[in-house]
Amino acid sequence: MCSAHATVRGFLGEIAARGVSDRHIIVDMEAGLEHLSRGTGRHVSRLVAVLEPYYRSMETARNVAALATELGIGDVVVVANKVRDDADRTAIADFCRAHGMRLVGEVPFDGALAEVERSGRAPIDAAPESAAVRAISALAERLGELASGT
Amino acid sequence: MRIAIAGKGGTGKTTIAGTLARVLARRERGGREVLAIDADTNPNLASVLGIAGDQARDIVGMPRTLMERRTSEDGTTKTVFAADPETVLREYGVVGPDGVRLMVMGRVGHGGAG
Repeated sequence: MCSAHATVRGFLGEIAARGVSDRHIIVDMEAGLEHLSRGTGRHVSRLVAVLEPYYRSMETARNVAALATELGIGDVVVVANKVRDDADRTAIADFCRAHGMRLVGEVPFDGALAEVERSGRAPIDAAPESAAVRAISALAERLGELASGT
Repeated sequence: MRIAIAGKGGTGKTTIAGTLARVLARRERGGREVLAIDADTNPNLASVLGIAGDQARDIVGMPRTLMERRTSEDGTTKTVFAADPETVLREYGVVGPDGVRLMVMGRVGHGGAG
């Protein structure tokens, strides 16, 4: 069967195989697990599981991380999003610790961003100084450091 | 870096993916290209990247016909990606602000190609 999933997988596989690698590649996966279970993530070197501070979201991230590891994506990290306070922070840290998940970044809840997104504009253009955009910028730095092994 | 971003719907993974792409592209300043791939069947990475209006409407998802069924000598068949990825990037990729190139894999709305 030839699905959109197969096409993504095939394309990424070709890019990986031909060493067209002097690019940064960021894949925004479909919500949930279907992509992963079909092996779409096979050709990336790192999976970032995004979670919010509530149970079902953290559980999904846990399943995503477990499946990615099973599929041989060695490097699975977690980013917390929409964090409002220390209670959120603690809940996420505890959950990650309990399940052996590696938390590498945090993006705060940001009302300015919600407003920008409702209008369909890019956060980095419409709210470049917002707390969320600054946090994602710091995350890019952190992911870069991880990539170079520091 | 070559990363995939996943999570439950509504967690903001598209916001993070798109903003990360723009931040990386600014750091590269015309060095390495940043390729953002929207693998969602309901694609909306374009707006987070700042690709809007006519350019967003003209985005065509990568067609499934790029995959071909091949039969090997032992009679087994498998489906392979049958196109040159660089050509595909040029043909279907859209270049947005800061030079980020967007490829859309899923169904594209606005009555476009499905």
